[in-house]
Amino acid sequence: MTGPTVVVGEVADGHLTGPTLEAIGVARALGRPTVGFVAGAHARSAGPEFARYGVLEVYVADDARLDSAPGGARVGPLREVLASTGASVVLAGGTTNGRELVGRIAIAWDAAAATGVTELAAVEDGVRVRRPIFGGRATESRRLTGERQAIALRPHAFPSPAESPGTPHLHEVSPGALPAPLAAAERTGVAPTVRGAGPGLTDASIVVSGGRGLRGPENFHLVEELAAALGAAVGASRAVTDAGWRPTSFQVGQTGRAVSPQLYVAVGISGAIQHIVGMISSRVIVAINSDASAPIFKVADYGVVGDLFQIVPALTAEVRRVRGL
Amino acid sequence: MPDFSLTAEQEGLRDLARKFARTEMAPHAAECDRAGRFPEEIYRKAFELGLMNLNVPTEYGGSGLGVVDQCLIVEELAHACGGMTTSVIANCLALEPILLGGNPEQKDRYLKPFCAEYHLASFCLTEPSGGSDAGGLKTRARRDGDDYVLDGEKCFITNAPHASLYTVFATIDPELHHRGITAFVVPRSATGVTPGKDEEKMGHRASSTSTVRFDGVRVPASDRLGGEGEGFGLAMRTLDQTRTPIGALATGIAQAALDHAAAYALKRQTFGKPIAEHQAIQIKLANMAQAVHAARLLTWHAAWSIDHGAKGTLESSIAKCFASDAALHVADEAIQTFGGYGYMKEFPVEKLLRDAKLTQIYEGANEIQRTVIARELLRQYA
Amino acid sequence: MEIVVCVKPVPDAETRLRAAADGKTLDAEGVKFVLAGYDESAVEQALLLKESIPGSKVHAIAYGPAPRTEEVLRAAIALGCDQATWVDAAGDSSGDPVTAARALAGVLAGVPRDLVLLGKQAGDDESGIVPAALGQLLGVPDFSCVVDLRWDPAGTRFRFQRPVETGVESWAVPTPLVIGLQQAWNDPRTAKLPAILKSRKAPIGRTTPASASAHSLPEKFELPPPRTGARLIEYKTPQEAAEKLVRVLREEAKVFP
Repeated sequence: MTGPTVVVGEVADGHLTGPTLEAIGVARALGRPTVGFVAGAHARSAGPEFARYGVLEVYVADDARLDSAPGGARVGPLREVLASTGASVVLAGGTTNGRELVGRIAIAWDAAAATGVTELAAVEDGVRVRRPIFGGRATESRRLTGERQAIALRPHAFPSPAESPGTPHLHEVSPGALPAPLAAAERTGVAPTVRGAGPGLTDASIVVSGGRGLRGPENFHLVEELAAALGAAVGASRAVTDAGWRPTSFQVGQTGRAVSPQLYVAVGISGAIQHIVGMISSRVIVAINSDASAPIFKVADYGVVGDLFQIVPALTAEVRRVRGL
Repeated sequence: MPDFSLTAEQEGLRDLARKFARTEMAPHAAECDRAGRFPEEIYRKAFELGLMNLNVPTEYGGSGLGVVDQCLIVEELAHACGGMTTSVIANCLALEPILLGGNPEQKDRYLKPFCAEYHLASFCLTEPSGGSDAGGLKTRARRDGDDYVLDGEKCFITNAPHASLYTVFATIDPELHHRGITAFVVPRSATGVTPGKDEEKMGHRASSTSTVRFDGVRVPASDRLGGEGEGFGLAMRTLDQTRTPIGALATGIAQAALDHAAAYALKRQTFGKPIAEHQAIQIKLANMAQAVHAARLLTWHAAWSIDHGAKGTLESSIAKCFASDAALHVADEAIQTFGGYGYMKEFPVEKLLRDAKLTQIYEGANEIQRTVIARELLRQYA
Repeated sequence: MEIVVCVKPVPDAETRLRAAADGKTLDAEGVKFVLAGYDESAVEQALLLKESIPGSKVHAIAYGPAPRTEEVLRAAIALGCDQATWVDAAGDSSGDPVTAARALAGVLAGVPRDLVLLGKQAGDDESGIVPAALGQLLGVPDFSCVVDLRWDPAGTRFRFQRPVETGVESWAVPTPLVIGLQQAWNDPRTAKLPAILKSRKAPIGRTTPASASAHSLPEKFELPPPRTGARLIEYKTPQEAAEKLVRVLREEAKVFP
């Protein structure tokens, strides 16, 4: 017998977060009854939010202590919900907390587990998932067997579901007393996310590189601003480092650094083979260049042919907008 | 049966050298080549990791490696930059006469403080009037009481402008020819020692090469290695030990050329397909691969022989000579594979050709190696 | 301070990925397995803590098959870890992180440990499950994506930060605890040649975990299709180009953060 799917909700500013909505969509597509679970201060406010997307049975552990306790404190109440609903699947959004909770519940609930999932389907003896591995250089499909599965999705891998409003039924869950080891941990503060110096070139998941098309060092800030908006590392073509616009350490290419990020954005780079061999293993390559015949477009996945001095600022603004910066 | 598998220790050494070559040397190779810059910060790191005084026993603060182990490391370093490698291993050459000819007191006195910190040493044999004819060298060592007084000039001396210690070969009497040659250890701080200016070279531009002048340099007799007249034999035995790693250095350059050429051939398209699918290029790559493979095996064999107690003169000369010729040939073919791009400094292969050229010349020109090979060979038939 | 660092052998970054003959997993033939990525950073962090807290020891533990697992443990010893234990994964080809966590916990339960350090995720499967599963198995708090980890001797607790989606959390936590480290050092130490030679002779403990059947099994290993040329974005204004590009990156390429 397969039981319902429990979606672990996360709330920010009184609303379910994007990754939670993505998880709701996936849960509904599984075609089984779906229930919601939220823990923390104002958890009850998530009830109507779940109901707006068609999840009417919502379990809440409304207790501010759960926000400032280690994530392990949520395991107790969640396990209670899993037991009382006879659930088969726990779904979490693709966040740090969601991923951690999946790791813990895999043990506490003796479930098969997977994270970073981009495709998911119910099969006869469990769930089949697909997930990128090796920094996106490969994909694996796995079968999660047994009666229970805990799954965290990959962010942005699924669309948000359509609204399907209904009236929520709230079920209170007692968080109970915190286990002593967890109670001894103290969260001493939370600061808004700061944008630091950005990641290093070779381990960044996004790289934005600038080339000769920028015309001069005074325009390199266009690349840096786009990188800052994306949380990306900054790279450069050999033309740029040879001309001294940026130090050699920025150079991506055969005689520079080889990179293989999730996303590589080449700005004003024509795509000499020297450069190509240093970035060809990137998962997704975007090229922005005024010359439609530039070789970079042969290796790129997406291209924008046009004036980078107009395109790049517009792209930076759009990235900032969607990321809420 | 010979065993070509590496031990876990050797795998570990090779991994260390490979990592150092890729992360510390390769990123700076093109820049140092262009500017002719001597990247002392890289050599310092090589020392700190134990990649510098490879042949010096651990009791004196070195790494205590056999010749096979040295070759594994040298090939990896040379894959990133031949010039830097020459400078990194120059201490091995300069210190070998002390290891072979020094008495226990001298080894303690020279090697321990030298190896405890980053220092460079230079092997001073070659002179402006001739390098291959080592028996005819002109630098004089005149006995004066308890001292010798050295006068003369050495040239093409690796690391000389940066070295703190020189092993110097001089003659006590030119009439005695090679029987007059005597070896000394001379600190840079001795009065009258003057390294010349860094030479502008075709390749190995990250290495530093200059003359060294000795003008009335007083050297105590206690800094003489072995007896008077024993210097020539010491120099030859030194080169028997250090020649094989030059084969490894050449093999590293050749392997780099093959790697670049094969990777490029798979990406470069002509007539609608990668050039690697054209038979002309396939034959080229296959021949290059054979040359690299043979160079490595000859080098390993020479190194193995020496580690197993052989004098190794024949084997190391064959290895050095073959591997350096192979390096030049493979680098040349790599440029040809790249076509016009290969001739451009934007691509890394033209540097390999320039670096490879020196391996045919230094530590015994290949003409001398062939003379040695022929002599050793004919002795077996005489 | 008894520090345990858990590491996993992963393919060298330059490995050309290929599917095995059965199409289910990576073809490991000829692949060089190394200590890398977040694991390498975790070892660096463990050694930095050891150097700053007098009387500390670092014990490296790894779960995996021969010979690669022993190799990364020797690499950890060469870097400066004091002790190493290999948890032999012979018979488990599932690649299931939950199974790995159970096997590691079996050893961890019996060794001194104030701090269990791991990379926040392994460089191959990138699941990030093991740190959290270990916290649950050991009954101690666990934290992933940790940066800026410091020992506060006055308060006898670790202080660290955790940059998550909603902000940067600061924590003060007494031992024992599990840390999944996000910190990446640009320049982690390199083992020196004498240490490498010495590490080859270091004893490596070996244990075999109680057999467990994994509930997560590999079915298919796939590589992305070769590139066929860029899809060009059509637009009338730069703003339209930007919007369309961001949309395809989010919804189609799924690379957008």
